[in-house]
Amino acid sequence: MKKKLIKFYPLIPVFTVYILLFFIGKNVPGMWQLVAMLLFYCALGQAFNIFLGMTGYVDFGYVAFMGVGTYGMALAITRLASIEELGIGIIVAGFALALLMSTLLSLAVGAVALRLRGAYFAIATIGVNEGLRFLIEGARIWNGSEGLIFVSDINNILGRDTADALMTFWADVMVLVIAALAAVVTLYYMRSKIGYALTALREDEDAAKVMGINVTKYKIIAFITSSCFAGLIGAASWALKTPYVFPPEVFEIQYTIEAIIIVLLGGAGTLLGPVAGGLIYGISKYYLAVYVPGFQLLIFAPIIIVIITLFPEGILGMLKNRFQNTGLAHFII
Amino acid sequence: MEVEQLTGNLLQGLVLGAVYGMATMGLSLIFGVLRIVNVGHGAFIMVGAFITLWLFNAFGINPLLAIPFAFMFGMGLGLIFYYAAIRKLRNAPELATLLVTFSFGILLEEVVKFIFGSEFRGYNWIVGKVNLGVTVLPMSKMYACFGSALVALLLYLWFNKTRAGVAMRSVVQDSEGARVCGVNVGGVYAFSFALGIGLTVVSGVMLTMFIPVGINPYMGGGYTLKAFVIAVLGGLSSPYGAFFGGLIFGLIENGSYTLFALIPGVEPFAMTRFLSFAMLLIILLIKPTGLLSTK
Repeated sequence: MKKKLIKFYPLIPVFTVYILLFFIGKNVPGMWQLVAMLLFYCALGQAFNIFLGMTGYVDFGYVAFMGVGTYGMALAITRLASIEELGIGIIVAGFALALLMSTLLSLAVGAVALRLRGAYFAIATIGVNEGLRFLIEGARIWNGSEGLIFVSDINNILGRDTADALMTFWADVMVLVIAALAAVVTLYYMRSKIGYALTALREDEDAAKVMGINVTKYKIIAFITSSCFAGLIGAASWALKTPYVFPPEVFEIQYTIEAIIIVLLGGAGTLLGPVAGGLIYGISKYYLAVYVPGFQLLIFAPIIIVIITLFPEGILGMLKNRFQNTGLAHFII
Repeated sequence: MEVEQLTGNLLQGLVLGAVYGMATMGLSLIFGVLRIVNVGHGAFIMVGAFITLWLFNAFGINPLLAIPFAFMFGMGLGLIFYYAAIRKLRNAPELATLLVTFSFGILLEEVVKFIFGSEFRGYNWIVGKVNLGVTVLPMSKMYACFGSALVALLLYLWFNKTRAGVAMRSVVQDSEGARVCGVNVGGVYAFSFALGIGLTVVSGVMLTMFIPVGINPYMGGGYTLKAFVIAVLGGLSSPYGAFFGGLIFGLIENGSYTLFALIPGVEPFAMTRFLSFAMLLIILLIKPTGLLSTK
């Protein structure tokens, strides 16, 4: 029994952080905005880590999945707004559509890109966000470059008070739930056959293949899972918090960059890493925006270079070495 | 009328394509020799554009004279980046070099934004126009086109006629074999990386002739994507393949613009940007080693 439980110890620090964040945000006045941002970055890091961290493949077009998820929620709300009796169910429909759309996109991109190795994979993904953005603008899909604005739709269907609570509070709680869910899935993958296969693939893809591991299958599993979480984050954090969607904003490459920074800073392929990375990145971004607005990336770009060349294992890698063979080792993974 | 317009546009596309080709040669060279994908490619093009802008606006220096300066600057930048990070990552997993070159790109963008600000800028270099019957081209674009072709030719001669060029090709074929034959492989890596970046920065000078008011720290992103389409078209590891890939890409881009403009309810500019992405996926799907390669 104890052996079984020990498997789930690493979730304790993750959930502790999330619960602490929630209570700080709820009880300390004026903190909710910062907490919401931290939750967003933790969720983003955790979602991206499932693919980048576990497979060692880089998806430079990752933000496209968030964008598509945002569109999923936006489309559900604008198109179903006339059905009054749907009520809060419209949000459920929105998440379902976001999930469906990000899954479809990940299948389409994965079908081409995941047949390719390393560098070629990265090249294939580099234009996904730009390509989608220009397709939506160019072919005037979903209102083209004018975007979708659905403040009034949300207000009509949910009532003004519920809509306000949703936008300012419940949307962030949903991000928290998504982040927690991503942590559970990450740990489940790590402790199952999928995780072992992905570790083998990350270390030596040819050897893994020779050993009879169906590498493509596991790459696709990780890719789709990671993309679905991105879609959900987009739907919760972008569509619900700011009820409009414009193509240039939701396909902005900056969010891919941020996801990469968070995962590397914390430690790629670890469970706690993205949480640590998300907290550090979020807090420093928040305060840098106050003191030196507009220069976060100027500071973070050299930091990534230093991490990759000198500390490729990130913060968690260092902590792991430090607490090896102590009781804490069970919690740090 | 439409046929004439199409021929005119295609001719413009060919002129632009030569510059596109040159802008991709550095990427292919670095991939061919070091097996590293420079994901920050577009940012180096942007640096070239800003060098031209700065020299022209501050000192009134002719953009053509900016070329040697841009080349030296690019080589220096390449050497710094090589010794600062790339050299340590020679045997690291691919993930590391992808992310490092990506970070180089961000770093350059942010430094340029810090110095010059993020608004769109441009310069005005008037050297007359040339009438080609179906279309009128500014002389500056012709200079850029011929300049690019000249650079491609020089690179070809250098690769085939000099000892250093042959050494470099030997490293491409078999780095262990080259080492055994007494080639300084580490030096070749450093020089190739610097040369690749130098060429890319020079291509930024050429490209400014096509975008009179489009110089901005974040202009590189679109060119990174285009360069990858072209590089994959030409076989990714061959600089000459890249040059011809550029010509083809220029033709397709300008030709498709004319065709998209005929479809009602479609924004042709955005659609050509989408097309370059679609082409990338299609080529990778059909033949990842490149349509122009013999392998």
